[in-house]
Amino acid sequence: MSLRAFGRWLESTSLSRVIQTTHGAIADIQVVHILALAVLFALALNLALRIAGRGLTQESSASLARRFVPGIWLCLAILLLTGALLIVAEPGRAIFNRIFYTKMCLVLVAVAFTFWLSHLARRREGRAPRLHAALATVYMLLWIGVIVAGRFIAYSV
Amino acid sequence: MILEILQWLQGSALAVSVSERWFPIVESLHVITMAIVAGTIFIVDTRLMGLTSRSLAFTYLSERLLPWTWWAFACSVVTGTLLFIANATGYYDNGPFRWKMILMGLAGINMLYFQRVTFRGVSAWDSGDPPLPARTAGISSIVLWSGVIGLGRWIGFTS
Repeated sequence: MSLRAFGRWLESTSLSRVIQTTHGAIADIQVVHILALAVLFALALNLALRIAGRGLTQESSASLARRFVPGIWLCLAILLLTGALLIVAEPGRAIFNRIFYTKMCLVLVAVAFTFWLSHLARRREGRAPRLHAALATVYMLLWIGVIVAGRFIAYSV
Repeated sequence: MILEILQWLQGSALAVSVSERWFPIVESLHVITMAIVAGTIFIVDTRLMGLTSRSLAFTYLSERLLPWTWWAFACSVVTGTLLFIANATGYYDNGPFRWKMILMGLAGINMLYFQRVTFRGVSAWDSGDPPLPARTAGISSIVLWSGVIGLGRWIGFTS
């Protein structure tokens, strides 16, 4: 099945039609998508700051990672679900769009970084090495890239 | 009178430049800064409701996170203003835009009331369970800021 045929099939499914024909459904799904993104971004920022030896330093990096990383995964699950619904509703916006694939690559790397930083946070004791601060910066740049790519999808359809 | 000012704003060189060239970049920056504003506020609010970060004092958490909120808010006001002037007359007439501004005003009033009244007795509950007024301020803030974000997205579907 070609990508074009897959897109046409996806668009013809009953789920896609329900979302397309329900007034405000796409906007409401996007609202949930953005709210989850906002919470994820703030949690990731706190994790990154703590990894870099800043932010909520009264709490150990291990304890902060134990509290915040599950929240990041929950937000990511909501983002994937709402993102999938948006693709089902309007496959043409995503599956033929290079920026969409760039966004997905950035998400994958950001997920790998979340695992990595979480692992570092749980094992580390004492002061943050410089390398950790650099990793934390790259981590936040990845999420910024995800947001920017997400916004640019709309301008490249 | 207002419409004339908006039309003048919309016709300015800055507005035309944003509208024709910079809109996607300014919009991306607006989303990033609003994500920091709402996300950090939600973390503080859920502590205010006694749901999260209970091992940290409320004053400590808010002192560490709210500077990020304020800086991001200042940036989102700048980016939001740039987006607004790019289509000032259109946004002025836009229902979700007006409601977004109203909810932001209410969120500001909620925050002021909390700071001036509820926060005065913070020493009694700083490290423990927040009282009902603090919990009410927290949930009100979450509802209002969720509304601000939601209506912000709806602007794009109605303008």
